[in-house]
Amino acid sequence: MSRIGVFICHCGENISATVDCEKVAKTLASMPGVAHSVDYKYMCSDPGQSLIRSAIKEKKLTGVVVAACSPRMHEPTFRKACAEARLNPFLCEMANLREHCSWVHAKGDATTDKAIDLVSMLVEKVKRNKPLFPIKVPVTKTALVIGGGIAGIQAALDIANAGQKVVLVEREPSIGGHMSQLSETFPTLDCSQCILTPRMVEVAQNPNITLYTYAEVESLSGFIGNFTARIRKKAKSVDEKLCTGCGECATACPIKKIPSEFNTGLGMRGAIYVPFPQAVPNKPVIDRSRCTYFKSGKCKFCASKCPAQAIRFDQQDEIIEIPIGSVVVTTGFNIKETSFFPEYGYGKYKDVVTGLQFERLLSASGPTLGEVKRPSDGTVPKKIVFVACTGSRDPAKGIEYCSKICCMYTAKHAMLYKHKVHDGDAYVFYMDIRAAGKGYDEFFRRAIEEDHVNYIRGRISRIYERNGKLIVRGADTLLGAQQVEIEADMVVLATAAVANDGAESLAQKLHVSYDAHHFFAEAHPKLRPVETNTAGIFLAGACQSPKDIPETVSQASAAASKVIGLFSNAELTREPIIAVVNRTAPPLFSTCVGCFMCQSACPYHAIEQEEIKTREGKLIKMVAKVNPGLCQGCGTCVAFCRSKSIDLQGYSNEQVYAEVMELLS
Amino acid sequence: MQALHQKAKELLESGKVQVIIGYGDGSGDRVRPVFISKAESASDLIWDDRCRQNLAVYLNKPEIKKLGVPAIVATPVVVKTIIQLISENQLKSSNIVVLVVDNDVVSELTDNASLEAYSAGHPVVFPPFVVKEIKDIAEMSIQQRNKYWQDELSRCFKCYACRAACPLCYCERCLTDNNQPQWVCVASHAQGNFEWHINRAMHLAGRCVECGSCTIACPVGIPIGLLTIEASRIVKQEFGQEPGLHCDADSAMSSFKVEDTETFIK
Repeated sequence: MSRIGVFICHCGENISATVDCEKVAKTLASMPGVAHSVDYKYMCSDPGQSLIRSAIKEKKLTGVVVAACSPRMHEPTFRKACAEARLNPFLCEMANLREHCSWVHAKGDATTDKAIDLVSMLVEKVKRNKPLFPIKVPVTKTALVIGGGIAGIQAALDIANAGQKVVLVEREPSIGGHMSQLSETFPTLDCSQCILTPRMVEVAQNPNITLYTYAEVESLSGFIGNFTARIRKKAKSVDEKLCTGCGECATACPIKKIPSEFNTGLGMRGAIYVPFPQAVPNKPVIDRSRCTYFKSGKCKFCASKCPAQAIRFDQQDEIIEIPIGSVVVTTGFNIKETSFFPEYGYGKYKDVVTGLQFERLLSASGPTLGEVKRPSDGTVPKKIVFVACTGSRDPAKGIEYCSKICCMYTAKHAMLYKHKVHDGDAYVFYMDIRAAGKGYDEFFRRAIEEDHVNYIRGRISRIYERNGKLIVRGADTLLGAQQVEIEADMVVLATAAVANDGAESLAQKLHVSYDAHHFFAEAHPKLRPVETNTAGIFLAGACQSPKDIPETVSQASAAASKVIGLFSNAELTREPIIAVVNRTAPPLFSTCVGCFMCQSACPYHAIEQEEIKTREGKLIKMVAKVNPGLCQGCGTCVAFCRSKSIDLQGYSNEQVYAEVMELLS
Repeated sequence: MQALHQKAKELLESGKVQVIIGYGDGSGDRVRPVFISKAESASDLIWDDRCRQNLAVYLNKPEIKKLGVPAIVATPVVVKTIIQLISENQLKSSNIVVLVVDNDVVSELTDNASLEAYSAGHPVVFPPFVVKEIKDIAEMSIQQRNKYWQDELSRCFKCYACRAACPLCYCERCLTDNNQPQWVCVASHAQGNFEWHINRAMHLAGRCVECGSCTIACPVGIPIGLLTIEASRIVKQEFGQEPGLHCDADSAMSSFKVEDTETFIK
């Protein structure tokens, strides 16, 4: 016979204001199987917990129901209190009387009746609870960081500096990401490369970091602490051990007219190239889709000029397998190209550029060596229009969200332009200014007040070319939507920040969830911002949502601290809320018939095949087996199992059925 | 028939198989399944138009498994069933011999490829009355259809002959036999009957090979096969997958393909 203890919490006035807690406790006291039922002002307080602990001992309770707030809040508190009184913590359940009842209903008998129902359901469940024990799994102390932008660099360095091994994978020939392309950074206007490149060098020099550039993650299998990553090292066509990075090959390459990705198409590179002078590693790769040798079988100019004989035309892609304990995803973002905007010329006007292109024009390492020049004719523009929110916050473009960085970088662009072209005019069209951040509001005010940038609140309807000038037509909504027309030399579009190419397929490889815009989803927007729903996989930076550098770096350090925390354990402890395949007496051994529908249905690849054998080793049957390290307790397999041979510990069919039946009775 | 007798004799004499599952004469004009384990009884096998029961149902029965490696006399739908059972990890083609008879020529299908080729070349054709039943129900309004099944299923008295006759109902413990909790009401009243038959249809959705054995087995003549046939048709229409054609097919209901164009699942 069950001896269940029921503890009704008033939560101050939170519950007792609308629910008659005393009546709930009294009603429950007469329910079959309930040995003890009380109400108290704050169950989570120390005296409240003492009530539970002493009742367990005195009344010899076999289960506990605490009716209080959401189990998200205090389930660990009460389970721990039970454990202290030597009751298995998984024999303690919570009924949510606050979020599910008192907060959402008015005071009245019906509200109290609902509270009684909620607690009775849990009593019926707890009667069928079984003691469960945490699961222990070993940990491989190597982290995989995917993406070598500032987020990946920061996360890798933090983990490595804590003494753990890191594998950093970057798909481009160099690490650095978008930050390496920026000119100066808001709000302090320090040179982006000057603050980034020391970190890049640190990555290359840190003995705990293994860096794979020009490489991509093929697949990830396994579970927290025990992943296996397959990494494709794309053929660089260069022997990195021999290459000295002298650059003779790039000079020798006869193809010079390939738009450079690093310079956003405003500069050119060869078929064998190093993306930028401070690249890490500073070793070239051959772009096989552009190389004359790979296209026609002739050329090899680079090989003939290489003093180290390091060119390898026959190099193949290599796939390596690495055991990994944890993953940090830092794959960053991208921006919409100008071609996405028909109203701004479909990208056909050369002097309508994106914010990122303008960064290159401002950058001392850029194609114009930091002089602001028009891409079309190389003249210095005397009038520039900056358009904030290009595509962002625009449901018609399918991008409802704010790209977050544009307000600040547009102010920076206008400011830097004015610093470089003193007699130039800068106009900024904006919807709202979002300058929340340390020193941010002061920064954009400086653009208006000290650098005399003209801010016009309104949107641009059209941009077209007339006599070598760009005609920008828009409205000034602060002047009663009065039409504005500006004859500009150049237009900079702060185009929307979007998920990086391949984000969706990577998310599917890693089994992490993502949103409608293909940004990776965090486990909880407030309380678990750098975790994914897949244990052991963390997020940092703009792959989760558009972010500026300070936010990206702090997230990267946060993700690193999660990894370091994980690696500080010899083994991991997991909640035993997992699916289990049943075992029965011979001759069945299990009611599982081994159809393995659960195997293909499991989103976490947690189901394996197991042989049941006689003592002599003869196969009796094949059944499904749940890997306790991988199972997330989602219950998909339970729903699929035709013979109900899989059950979820802690939420068994029997328990849930009893709850529903109690509610219907 | 001569060729079939000869083949059965050879198989048993050579020891390649220990039992032949086939059709034999029953009482009156009926045909019954026979399990032949002696070469001299091979001539008990018959093969004619009356041989329509799906013998694949016996392949997974423990008492038949005990007899040893089986050969089975297979109609096209039996071949389909065997392919479906292979795809559901219930059989291995290497552990059985499938005998198909075409114009008095007996051939052995011994691997997945030959089974698949045979199945592809022998589509199952419904008798005209089944085609008419499907058409009649399709033309009913939702209310009429509800009434039709209410009436039909009211005659069910839960003998579970449909389950016993179905070669794809191979669970060792059926959902209905599970009483902790009692998911499906065992009483044969309207609710209990509906619960059982709807569950059966759902469990066979996308798996039913449309052999009609359940309908034939029903002692009160409920055309219950129509439910699973329709469920399979819907799966085929929605997911483009037909059971009994590929030995390595994933279950349409439990698998997710990355290239699936449906956006609802994301």
